[in-house]
Amino acid sequence: MSTTLFRTFQPNQFSLLGTSLLRRRRSNNFSVRSCGSQTTTTHEAKQSSPTRVAPKNHKSNKLDEILRDYEAVIGIETHVQLSTLTKAFCSCSNNYGSYPNISICPVCMGLPGALPVLNSKVVEFGVRLGLALNCDLSLKSKFDRKQYFYPDLPKGYQISQFDIPIASGGYVDLDIPLEFGGGHRRFGITRVHMEEDAGKLLHSDTGDYSQVDLNRAGVPLLEIVSEPDMRSGIEAAEYACEMQRIARYLGVSNGNMQEGSLRCDVNISIRPIGQAEFGTKVEIKNLNAFSAISRAIDFEISRQALLYNQGKADEIVTETRLWEEGAQKTVTMRKKEGLADYRYFPEPDLPEVILTKEYVDSIRASLPELPEAKRRRYEAMGLGMQDVLFLANDVSVAEYFDAVIGKGAEVKLAANWIMSDIAAYLKNEKLSINDIKLTPHELAELIAAIKDGTISGKIGKEILFELLAKGGTVKGMIKAKDLVQITDPVEIEKMVIQVVSENPKQLEQYRSGKTKLQGYFAGQVMKMSKGKANPGLLNKILLEKLNAKD
Amino acid sequence: MATRALLAVVSASPNRCFISPSRITILQSLTSSSSVHFHRHSRKIHRIARSYSSDSDSSALQPPDVSRLAQTARISLTPAEIEECETKIRRVIDWFGQLQQVDVNSVEPAIRAEMDGRNLREDAPETFENRDSIRASIPSFEEAYLKVPKILNKE
Repeated sequence: MSTTLFRTFQPNQFSLLGTSLLRRRRSNNFSVRSCGSQTTTTHEAKQSSPTRVAPKNHKSNKLDEILRDYEAVIGIETHVQLSTLTKAFCSCSNNYGSYPNISICPVCMGLPGALPVLNSKVVEFGVRLGLALNCDLSLKSKFDRKQYFYPDLPKGYQISQFDIPIASGGYVDLDIPLEFGGGHRRFGITRVHMEEDAGKLLHSDTGDYSQVDLNRAGVPLLEIVSEPDMRSGIEAAEYACEMQRIARYLGVSNGNMQEGSLRCDVNISIRPIGQAEFGTKVEIKNLNAFSAISRAIDFEISRQALLYNQGKADEIVTETRLWEEGAQKTVTMRKKEGLADYRYFPEPDLPEVILTKEYVDSIRASLPELPEAKRRRYEAMGLGMQDVLFLANDVSVAEYFDAVIGKGAEVKLAANWIMSDIAAYLKNEKLSINDIKLTPHELAELIAAIKDGTISGKIGKEILFELLAKGGTVKGMIKAKDLVQITDPVEIEKMVIQVVSENPKQLEQYRSGKTKLQGYFAGQVMKMSKGKANPGLLNKILLEKLNAKD
Repeated sequence: MATRALLAVVSASPNRCFISPSRITILQSLTSSSSVHFHRHSRKIHRIARSYSSDSDSSALQPPDVSRLAQTARISLTPAEIEECETKIRRVIDWFGQLQQVDVNSVEPAIRAEMDGRNLREDAPETFENRDSIRASIPSFEEAYLKVPKILNKE
């Protein structure tokens, strides 16, 4: 899989994207994309010893071979932890990282007599997400009890939605990143439902005991079940990325896989190409990063294909496997005896969830522009897919970009500034775009100042750093530091003449063939002008003077 | 206790209690052992069928598999207790079974027996005052955590 990333560095693509590619390619590694971490590792790998290339190439070829004979059918279940202030069924605080067993009460502890009361925000977030995923909403839905025993489940059941979820029958449109081949995809969404989270179970390394922290018990979740529409690890990883993107765009969750506020379980089976029936489905858990999703799927495809090829297809059983990040493989969880029997029945302590048309319409009207709509709009503005995907990935970056072009800045220039210099700054300082002191208005001013020749591009980059760190206005800084570009040919000529006359030795060397010394003279004039001489004009006049005399 | 048992039984019986289009998924959630008992104890039970189900032979209210129920509810019963419970539970189910006599063919299924719907709470945090006594009442509370035996698999 990782080798496919190398496709980006093929020569034809360099020529397609132009010379600015190199600068931008670097900046992509500074990218604010959370899903882009895959790009960074590959770039680093590319720059290290060439011997690393061979094994990765080998692996990808093997997978391609497998995919000639078998088709992978992949579905994903995503749990999104909602960023509400309180839990789903009680008023305990919903905080991550508190001291254990602090945010508790009789309801979430499952103490006798306690009754759940639904948090209205949970319904609102459920509707928002359902609409964002183009689902049909169930105007009437209900909660059910999913019963099983486990130390992190205080009540002995989880309040969930079984047969009538709040939303169903939707889809998501996304773009595969260019380094993985690009292209649009549409994946179906089977359902979205509301449920509560269990507590946290920590197993001790030594000893025969575990520890339970119930701060998380009762925290609201939205579970998103996809149709089995994905066909590769890359598609699955991008789907998961898009779930995160949408959750963040909507503000329903911070979607951090590391924190556990976004969890993905993968269901995968393979079948010989042409076969109509699905193969045996395997579930994979313990995936903690988008790259892990894609690697785990690649591994599992290889594992299952190998068994098929060896005539041992019946050794593929319906089971849950864990992804081991260290060993980079899936392993069987202890096999259970029989299927789980959750004995679902309607939660007697909770009434129906009723949505009115007015309620749904008001939420629909308040939805922000979603990632897909943004991407299509940016594409229509003439930006290339690379830029589109970068800018639309993070809602704050997109907002910033929209604000900058809203002030009249040229689209391509604004995109370049944000994707290269500003992105680099953010990465180095470990900031988000909301933290910088350069306002969108001032960036637009900077772009305009360079465009109309008030300052040179080089000077623009220099003051950018100060503007990012300390703020201020472009106009003010130009004035205070006397940065206005010198474009008067007479003035430049004066400096050129002076420099030439002060450097007779270099002049003679130039005249006798060392034409590279032009750069030396140019540098001297720049120094004299404190960097303000217009480079184009400078070189034109310099050349005249150097070649004219005598 | 009886109510809990009834709820457990009711949930273990197929189709009857659920009004939903996704019949198949509910049946799949039951283990195979209960289906064996469906046919073993045939009783004369009113067969007014509200047919959402794809299989027509389970139109009678099924007698409970008490030993499986006890197992899933983690309640240990002696064989004598199982027999005793079986009779009692069957009686409760038959009593509810009278509802089968009602002709509801022209009635739209309800999702819930409705209370005063729309009981929602504002998303405003409140700290429960007496958390200390909650923690104090936990038998094995050590170093801020509940200490439990190490179990790696759910059910």
